[in-house]
Amino acid sequence: MHLTHLNTRGEANMVDVGDKQETRREAVASGRIVMLPETLTLLSEGGLPKGDVLATARIAGIQAAKRTHELIPLCHALALSKVSVEFEIDIAESCVHVTSLCRLNGRTGVEMEALTAVSVACLTLYDMCKAVDKGMHIEAIQLDSKQGGQRGDYQRVNRQSPIVTGEGTSGEVSLGERCPSPCVRVKFLAELRERVGESEATVGLDQLASRDISGLKEALAERDDRFKLLTDQRTLCAINQVMANDDALVTDDDEVAFFPPVTGG
Amino acid sequence: MDIKVAVQAAPFSMDYGYSDALVGRSDIGAVVSFTGLVRDFNETPDVTGLTLEHYPGMTERTLTEIGEQACQRWSLQAVRIIHRVGYLGPGDPIVRVLVASAHRREAFEACDFIMDFLKTQAPFWKKEHSTQGEYWVKERHSDQQDAARWE
Repeated sequence: MHLTHLNTRGEANMVDVGDKQETRREAVASGRIVMLPETLTLLSEGGLPKGDVLATARIAGIQAAKRTHELIPLCHALALSKVSVEFEIDIAESCVHVTSLCRLNGRTGVEMEALTAVSVACLTLYDMCKAVDKGMHIEAIQLDSKQGGQRGDYQRVNRQSPIVTGEGTSGEVSLGERCPSPCVRVKFLAELRERVGESEATVGLDQLASRDISGLKEALAERDDRFKLLTDQRTLCAINQVMANDDALVTDDDEVAFFPPVTGG
Repeated sequence: MDIKVAVQAAPFSMDYGYSDALVGRSDIGAVVSFTGLVRDFNETPDVTGLTLEHYPGMTERTLTEIGEQACQRWSLQAVRIIHRVGYLGPGDPIVRVLVASAHRREAFEACDFIMDFLKTQAPFWKKEHSTQGEYWVKERHSDQQDAARWE
């Protein structure tokens, strides 16, 4: 592994790509700008003094991708065949997610173009909104994936830690530890917790005949007869807090919750 | 979409969400709210209280999603959903849904819709305490039918 922009004397230099094969290259980058909920409302309703914020930021991102070589010293000028910049307004996280895709047939990758597009789109969002919110911050600008080129494809692994909840007492469930070897953490909630007599269990992935919910139910039923309750048709299931059925796949460190039909309201 | 949800052990006021949803706005023509209270009779005649359990994280997400679905079906200016957990006594408010819209029909229907889905999808469980002992409340078939009306 070496840095291609440094020569043998450690000096910066532009890589000669003349002998590289032309291939179809594609890169996707993303980032986000976090702002006050009120700012996000103004942005989504078009109530900001500088006008249509997202349309302006989109054009800014596309223009920036085309001019990446003017900003980043050792980048080549590329004839991009496609640049897209998309926005997703996230009310829960009070932010705008920015995603850019760049594509070309050429001899060099387009990840810098995608990253530049995201960066400048975020900066433009800041500029357009700063009159009402100076505390905004830009974060998590990153390459999500790239295809083509001699180093092969790249796909970012989602390192966001799964939701793990611990000891369940009446009323609430708290955060818990992660397991050391590949395993699924199982929670039993409400009446089901009382009927099985436990609030949680850990099942190693290697104990599962099939790595899905039905495999998990089987493994638990083999461990103890009480867990046969899980195959009751009334019993519901969620993986990482999203409803799931018997065919849903489970992976390392997933949190699987079993519970009876809900009775709130 | 102006949606706010809250799940808390502390009591909330009977006008929760009202001023928050309306402040500084003059495009709202109708506000409909529903407040659910603890009855002193349910599966047994002498309910002394109930304990509400939930699944933190999933609860908030589910309530937000229900609010978003309502916003997709109807043109709504604001949605507020609050639900209590923990121990509640007879007469205590459990849940409150407030919907603001330009016109009354949308606000009425959206509020009804949100309650139907909250009752059948949000991960809350009630355990009733009565003079005869305590027991987990069973789900009702009628609640499922109510939710199915919207399909």
